[in-house]
Amino acid sequence: MANSKNLYILGGHQTDFARNWSKENKHFVAMMREAVLGALASTGIEPKEIDVAHVGNFAAELYAKQGHLGAFFNEIDPAFSGLPTSRHEAACASGSIAILAASAELEAERYDLACVVGVEQMKTVGPGVGGDYLGTAAWYEFEAEGIEFPFPKLFGKLGDEYDKRYGLRDEHLAEISAINYDNAKHNPNAQTRTWYMNKDHAMSRDEHNGTIGGRIHISDCSQVTDGAAVILLASERFATAYAKRRGVPLSSIPRLKGWGHHTARLRFEDKVRESAGARFVLPHVRSTITDAFERAGVPDVSAIDGIETHDCFTTSEYMAIDHFGLTAPGESWKAVEEGTIAMGGATPINPSGGLIGAGHPVGATGVRQTLDAYKQVRGEAGDYQVEGAKTFATLNIGGSGTTSVSFVVGVD
Amino acid sequence: MLATSEAKSRPAAAATSHPIRHVVVLGANGTMGFGSGALFTSAVPRVTFLARTKEKAEGGLGAAIRMVRSSTVADRVDTGSYDADFDRAVSEADLIFEAVTEKLDLKRRFFERIDALRKPDSIVATVTSGLSINELAEGRSASFKKHFLGLHFFNPPNVIVGTELIAGKETDPALVDLVERYCTERLGRVMVRTADTPGFAGNRVGFKVLNECAQLAEEHGALLVDKLVGPYTGRALTPLKTIDLVGWDIHRAIVDNIYALAPDEAHETLALPKFMAAMMEKGTLGNKTGRGFFAKSDEGERLALDPRSKRYQPIKEIALPDLGYIDEVARLHHLGLYEQAMAAFAAADGPYAALARKVIAGYISYAFHRVGEVTESIRGVDLIMGYGFNWAPPGVLVDTFGLETTLRILDEAGVPVPALLANADPATRWFDDPYTNTGKFFVAG
Repeated sequence: MANSKNLYILGGHQTDFARNWSKENKHFVAMMREAVLGALASTGIEPKEIDVAHVGNFAAELYAKQGHLGAFFNEIDPAFSGLPTSRHEAACASGSIAILAASAELEAERYDLACVVGVEQMKTVGPGVGGDYLGTAAWYEFEAEGIEFPFPKLFGKLGDEYDKRYGLRDEHLAEISAINYDNAKHNPNAQTRTWYMNKDHAMSRDEHNGTIGGRIHISDCSQVTDGAAVILLASERFATAYAKRRGVPLSSIPRLKGWGHHTARLRFEDKVRESAGARFVLPHVRSTITDAFERAGVPDVSAIDGIETHDCFTTSEYMAIDHFGLTAPGESWKAVEEGTIAMGGATPINPSGGLIGAGHPVGATGVRQTLDAYKQVRGEAGDYQVEGAKTFATLNIGGSGTTSVSFVVGVD
Repeated sequence: MLATSEAKSRPAAAATSHPIRHVVVLGANGTMGFGSGALFTSAVPRVTFLARTKEKAEGGLGAAIRMVRSSTVADRVDTGSYDADFDRAVSEADLIFEAVTEKLDLKRRFFERIDALRKPDSIVATVTSGLSINELAEGRSASFKKHFLGLHFFNPPNVIVGTELIAGKETDPALVDLVERYCTERLGRVMVRTADTPGFAGNRVGFKVLNECAQLAEEHGALLVDKLVGPYTGRALTPLKTIDLVGWDIHRAIVDNIYALAPDEAHETLALPKFMAAMMEKGTLGNKTGRGFFAKSDEGERLALDPRSKRYQPIKEIALPDLGYIDEVARLHHLGLYEQAMAAFAAADGPYAALARKVIAGYISYAFHRVGEVTESIRGVDLIMGYGFNWAPPGVLVDTFGLETTLRILDEAGVPVPALLANADPATRWFDDPYTNTGKFFVAG
């Protein structure tokens, strides 16, 4: 089940996730424009070379009272008039779903160069209203309606399930938080790069780190973020010509080598009921990862130099650790204690800072992760570079482990 | 992060070799003292907060905890008074960070005490926002002078990362490199080296613009001036609101210092308006006194100052001229069309658009004239205006207007054209930092 055609990532761009675009009084089209023009400038691609655009976005209808986001791509440059575009939604996995849609079209040889944009403007509303909007990524009627901050509570339940099956200690979650914040300090686009954080703070339980839902405290949460991210995805035909005109070998251009995609039952309790007695708490997430590995020709996680995972909460990263196979199921704490996931460890997770440190503009996250994987394997990640990285994996999750997408990005 | 070419590697290597383990903060009850103190706790295991009394130092610690919203600050801080704890703390410290009241004699007295106590290799830094580093070090030992420098954080230091680094005549260049690297890698600062000139780079350029706006308020009123030099010109906070926030007394100290010591090509724009001096005598100091260029009535109604009558008027009753061009510029910024927006600003008709352009032209002209005097290149001024003031850096404005339009605006405004711009290649990109989203500076008001 290998990818049928080679797909290449030519580059991309992300906005500074520390920006508050509502305070700047900007429309999200400004965010898309900056991200797309940044991607074009950094790759030397002309607007007219783009054949198709895919936009990942979760809930602009709620946050910005605006739908039809695909059409906003065409506002960016006069050359885009008439360009086929569309918008994709799968909650927090929207960005990765947009990449999948683009790659399917390239593999089908409909087009040669796709621009994928992930975008979300979230600071248009306060935290309570925003938390309610995010609840629509769960089964709202049953899991979110009338509940304050439903998602921290759902991912608190993920921690509870680990605790029940294997035992779970808060200090391991605190360490995950501290690593993400620490990594973010070296990422010039990270939302929290100037924030005050350390493991002691993540372990503190006073008014400065209150509980949001069960075992989830403020320091366990990803951020409310405004941001956009872009990648340019090309067929082998386009990439070959592009490499030639840039005077570089085709092999120096990173490939989207493999993908995995599964969708589980929407309600968290149904997922957990289905996985009772199984090796993994979220078996469909596990399958997503192993599918991506298989399609990429990667035997197991030992062939991966680093991971950009979906740490919407510390519990989701804790889950990702054993689901990626870094430890046996239920033993994620070992990878935390042994330094495996820290910078300098065997398989650093979230060198960018992840969703906790770099930020989580919902619809942009999957694209941002893939862009970071691209930067890592190109050796262009600056102060958060994993030395010598050639192969990176991503995991992007929508809902409470519902839609999951994983990519393997690599250079030969 | 981005300020220096030498700060490209991950910090681990440098972090283990630097000698800063214990920082002493003097004046830890003041905003710059406790703010900087909190910042240091993110990088070193021990920070001593000193103030006139232990209670004041404790108050500084409480404020630091509230500022960064983490009780863990206290785990790394001990507190004390100048009488009981100064000698021991200073004799043990690796870095002594002075943030006492901005008075030359007072600071000098502290430095004299420090000179007699400090370890021979300890660093002494002052957070002064404008006093001369060389004058502050006068009379001190050779070792003190070698280890003394200005480290000008902007307030609040946990949020604003732009920081000026000022070496004295006798400061060890290797120490300056070390502090720059340390602040970049461990404290997340954007460092800008400046000469030991009045107001350094940020306040010299920034307060020139602020004071010119204060001067213009005399004829046009506070409300109109803040509209004209508003967010659309490249800033989050409008100029006169900035002066109110900073405090009129601080504003006066900064501009008087520059006016007295740096007679430059824009000298008169740095003269404090007479109405400000008169109103300060009667207790108007900006936000801290509840009244400045702006105020609120007892009923909560928003008021603006008419400097000529020294009276406040309800903002909703003030008739403003037609400023439709601002709406158009803001609309274009709103959509992310920054170059079109600034082109519309450059082309806008009427005396008010011309007045706004005169202030912006003055900013560009003044900043580029400081190259060689205050910073080595325009990049230094650009970084401190962007990361210290959160204003569109002058280089970004030139890039956005384009050189030809910039030169026309400067010419029409009657401000001197800096040689750097007059002789420039039109293709020059003045601000090319890949990590800065320059669009963020253009706020759609």
